[in-house]
Amino acid sequence: MRRLRLGSIPLYIAVAISGIYVLLPLLSAGEFSLRQPATHNYGLEHYNWFIENPDFVHYLWLSLGLALGAAAILLVLLVPTAIWLNLGGSNVRGLVEFLTLLPLVIPVVALAIGAQTSLPEFAQTNEFVLSFMYAILAMPYAYRTLDTGLKAVPLKTITEAARGLGAGWLRTIVLVVTPVVRSTVLSALFMTLALSLGEFTLTSLLHWDTFTTWVTTMSQSNILGAIALSVFSLVGVFVLLMLIGLFVKPASNQVSLEEE
Amino acid sequence: MGSPLRLEGVTRRFKDTVALSNLDIDVAAGELVALLGPSGCGKTTALRIIAGLDRADTGQVWVNNKQIDKLPAHKRNMGMVFQSYSLFPNLNAEENVAFGLKMRGTSKSQRRDRAQELLALVGLANHAKRFTHQLSGGQQQRVALARALAFEPDVLLLDEPLSALDAKVRANLRDEIRSLQVKTGTTTIFVTHDQEEAMSMSDRVAVMNAGKIAQIAAPDVLYHDPADEFVAGFVGQMNRIPAEPVKDKVRVLDTLVGVRSIHEFQRVDLVALVRPEALSVVQSAAGNSKVVARSFLGPMSKVLLQSNTGHEFQAVMTSEQSASLQSGDTVQVAVKQGDYLVVPA
Repeated sequence: MRRLRLGSIPLYIAVAISGIYVLLPLLSAGEFSLRQPATHNYGLEHYNWFIENPDFVHYLWLSLGLALGAAAILLVLLVPTAIWLNLGGSNVRGLVEFLTLLPLVIPVVALAIGAQTSLPEFAQTNEFVLSFMYAILAMPYAYRTLDTGLKAVPLKTITEAARGLGAGWLRTIVLVVTPVVRSTVLSALFMTLALSLGEFTLTSLLHWDTFTTWVTTMSQSNILGAIALSVFSLVGVFVLLMLIGLFVKPASNQVSLEEE
Repeated sequence: MGSPLRLEGVTRRFKDTVALSNLDIDVAAGELVALLGPSGCGKTTALRIIAGLDRADTGQVWVNNKQIDKLPAHKRNMGMVFQSYSLFPNLNAEENVAFGLKMRGTSKSQRRDRAQELLALVGLANHAKRFTHQLSGGQQQRVALARALAFEPDVLLLDEPLSALDAKVRANLRDEIRSLQVKTGTTTIFVTHDQEEAMSMSDRVAVMNAGKIAQIAAPDVLYHDPADEFVAGFVGQMNRIPAEPVKDKVRVLDTLVGVRSIHEFQRVDLVALVRPEALSVVQSAAGNSKVVARSFLGPMSKVLLQSNTGHEFQAVMTSEQSASLQSGDTVQVAVKQGDYLVVPA
């Protein structure tokens, strides 16, 4: 058994406090959502209430689709940009940093009104316009996640090493760059998915209905059902995080090796 | 066996800075030439131009009598080891070593055999399945060396491969690289700013300064017969001792010595460039200098001296010879006979 080191005690205390801070409200909400006032017992009545609602699956899929759309847009836009900047195109780094910070500075209301007045009609009548808006909102976080991840890898050196060893640009990107940046890209993907799935303000301002706005509407008619829905959403995101976590593991850790 | 390499009139500018100015180098097959110089002298730029990772503004690069400066990096058949660790983190040591062979379409079994052979050559046969984060810095550079040699490159390019390592590992790896290079007969260009590394490993050393080669010669020639003050000062330690012209010789510390090069010495103050081991120190009450301090370096000792005219200089002698010298002792210092480089003060 590993010995508890004295120096690690503050760390364990911090982790315990954070754990209680996060888990206690979640457990309380979980317990509350299982209560059945009529019988004074526990049961899944409130979960059944929203699962049996036909809108539940519809809005859940819609939100997932929009979030995936936003993630795809951001990755297509940001992954090549971040790789290029880290390979030496650093004279425009400042400009890119500034542009990716803008969504944090511009209020969501201004973004929504801007979208309503400037977007062509076909874009305004298609709910997938939300994917583009979510992509803008997630850009500061996704870009920083990508950039920090890429900075931690000596991308320029390993790219040059691959070329020196006889790999052309295409093979360098496919065989060397992609596997190395995979975990970073997945982190940015998760960041975008999580942010898009929980987005409410912009969606509501643009008069669209997604899973989050549906949950809000539903909560007005059944408070215990709304709590059950919230617990479901939180656990759902947690499961998503765990699933992505399985892929995010660096390739080199997937093989167990004997120690010297 | 490696191939001969030739650079002809290579010039490279970065905006207003001239990194390389009309550089010519001729390297024989199997030879190890070190490019030695201070930071910013253009040595890494030269290496990158040979590798195809940078383009020269003018000039040509020839390998095996074929002009290669128009070829992209991946078609040049050069093995390169970088200053920073450059192993692919998603591949284990064996896969890293086999990467160059994979790019050349070698079969899987041949790749594995060759990678095993090279890993054994660098003493890491038992580490074939390890990933980058499971290897020490020295081991990573060994794998990088094996990777660069696996596909039998025409030229091996080493860009300060030891500078990130600690002193002991560096000394070991230095010897290993040299013996491996001799064993494989690979033509090698070794970039370094460490003169000890360059002198101990190379067949010839090219001392570079401001984008040009100040002198290219065998290490002993460079040490004993430097072309100018820059080379003399950069390679080994050098005393600058005031000198006075006397007919066709100069007087340095009461000794008349021969002169190899004098720049207009009739009109300006002169200094002779004298190696610390070219000074003889004898105890004498009426001597011309005083002992300031003595440092013990094992078999040799370094003695810091000050002449009666106030100039400080160093002498190196065996520790046995220096044993009787104490700080404050008066000594007679003479310059051993030879031809000295004399330059304006």
